[in-house]
Amino acid sequence: MSREIVIDPVTRIEGHSRITIQLDDRGEVVDAHFHVTQFRGFERITQGRPVHEMPAIMARICGICPVSHLVASAKAVDDILAVQPPPTGADLRRVINLGQIVQSNALSFFHLSAPDLLFGFDADPAKRNVIALARENPGLAKDGIALRKWGQQIIEWLGGKRIHPTGIVPGGVAEPLTAEVRDRILAGVPDAIAAVERAIAWYKTDMLRWEEEAATFGNFRTAFMGLVDRQGNPDHYDGWLRVIDADGKYLADRVDPCNFNDYIGEAVEPWSYLKSTYWKAMGYPDGIYRVGPLARVNIAERMGTPRADEELEKFRWRVGRVAGSSFHYHYARLIDTLHCIERIDQLLRGPDILSKHVRSRAEVNRLEGIGVSEAPRGTLMHHYKVDEDGIVQWANLIIATGHNNMAMNRAVLQVARHHVKGDRLDEPMLNRVEAVIRCYDPCLSCSTHALGQMALRIQLLGPDGAVLDDLAR
Amino acid sequence: MPADDRLVGDPAQAGSGAEGTLIVGYGNALRGDDSLGWHAVERLADVPRLRGARVVWRHQLAPELADDLSKVSLAILIDVSAEVEAGALSVRRLEPPPAAGSAWSHHIEPASLAALARELYGAAPVVFVVSVGAASLEVGDRLSPAVEAALPAVVAAVVAIVAEHGSPGGSAG
Repeated sequence: MSREIVIDPVTRIEGHSRITIQLDDRGEVVDAHFHVTQFRGFERITQGRPVHEMPAIMARICGICPVSHLVASAKAVDDILAVQPPPTGADLRRVINLGQIVQSNALSFFHLSAPDLLFGFDADPAKRNVIALARENPGLAKDGIALRKWGQQIIEWLGGKRIHPTGIVPGGVAEPLTAEVRDRILAGVPDAIAAVERAIAWYKTDMLRWEEEAATFGNFRTAFMGLVDRQGNPDHYDGWLRVIDADGKYLADRVDPCNFNDYIGEAVEPWSYLKSTYWKAMGYPDGIYRVGPLARVNIAERMGTPRADEELEKFRWRVGRVAGSSFHYHYARLIDTLHCIERIDQLLRGPDILSKHVRSRAEVNRLEGIGVSEAPRGTLMHHYKVDEDGIVQWANLIIATGHNNMAMNRAVLQVARHHVKGDRLDEPMLNRVEAVIRCYDPCLSCSTHALGQMALRIQLLGPDGAVLDDLAR
Repeated sequence: MPADDRLVGDPAQAGSGAEGTLIVGYGNALRGDDSLGWHAVERLADVPRLRGARVVWRHQLAPELADDLSKVSLAILIDVSAEVEAGALSVRRLEPPPAAGSAWSHHIEPASLAALARELYGAAPVVFVVSVGAASLEVGDRLSPAVEAALPAVVAAVVAIVAEHGSPGGSAG
């Protein structure tokens, strides 16, 4: 007789979802699913809109990572206009995208996951929140806040607004950078680096506490995908697609991201609104791969910035050349953040960063365009088709969380099999099943900040539908 | 100044009693009455009696605002409410934040924000929450007639709070 555990909703992630865990008659976990229960529909909403409006509309997809959608959308429109932004315009897009990744990574690590890491997965859930975090480790909480503010200020100063900025436009950016704003951002670099380095030191000190979690939190062999530059360093704005297998062997390299359809397939399951993508050569569902900070550090030769490179070496010494456990997303996210700060510093010190030539202009020259960039959670793809008048006829979006969908489901199953026992439900078990999802930092709502702990209820149902156990918070 | 964050009037002209005041309007500017905060800060930014106050708009309250709260002596948060009759004005002073940490929700609540400011920075201002009952939260950038009509009362309430509780150059230090 099978039974089902339902965790609804999943907390401390962006958006609405639930988890179901299927038990057999002996109480053993036989299957688990991460269901995304909300529907956004931007692929349909945008049909019939002028293509020039697409970046501004697409930024509305998400309140956490609007800049990523803005960037990918603007690049897709660039492709339709057949224009290249001036180098300074491209660099300013890079800076604003990196600023967003800093603030989003900070939210994920310092505010959503740090309570688990500080107090432990067995701690009272009332303690696992930002207030308790502030009391127990105020330095860590302050560093998270400072990083978030710095990243958001970059978005606001360059993009015009913190949420849903408008400064990135087809062909480049709306305004050149002033020396005053450049210097204001640069002045924050040392503190931002220091904040991340303190977090890395803290995390490494505590890392041994989580050996069991590292072994069971989505620890499996998959491919990894991301964008790299000519030297094989992560490129959060442009570059080529690189895909490696679990041993680090290239499955693909120097792939023009605009050809992603040749390599990536999309599948739909009846139990979720989130599409699953897969590596076509390996088929569905075997073609599982991961994106995001863990993928970025796994696929990279080096990070390409001094401090992040130093930390990458330590990371690889601890967890291997290709880290397989999804628990290591946390560590990788910090290295990724450090790299982003260093890149912002490098870009803003470029000799032409104050150039007034930041935007190219053109009309519709192609009927199809693709834009690909790295969002905080991984590779983001926008693909549009327009008519001769530039009216959008069709749009397809592959969001980072979709790339990770199969991996998240497999991770939930692995954690459930390790921690869920029989017909007993307890909070630490529940929290671990949720926490493995938090490693991926999925962005489901794509509309507003979702910092938190929503009302949560789990029921364990018997085969006749009778409630065997019930847990609420 | 960027549109999300500005000082009222010429900061060189002090003496209004609004220095050391932070006014935060928050909400989704594209969800009908949830845009009250945005509309309110647009009006408040031009009120001479609030000269020197810092007026900001945020999509929602987030932990980083705790840092800003800790640097002022008076904070006024403006939002719509689903618990008040449509168009009705509500003004309440937040009680001192609880000693125990509260649950962290979808967005951080005003009391948690004040608690965070105190826990992290050792300073929390006097906090008022000014709200108006929502009539419609459907998609759109316009306020309902009931909430639109309440906007002057929101401005008047904020001015009155600053007049009574503001202090020139004040900060929670």
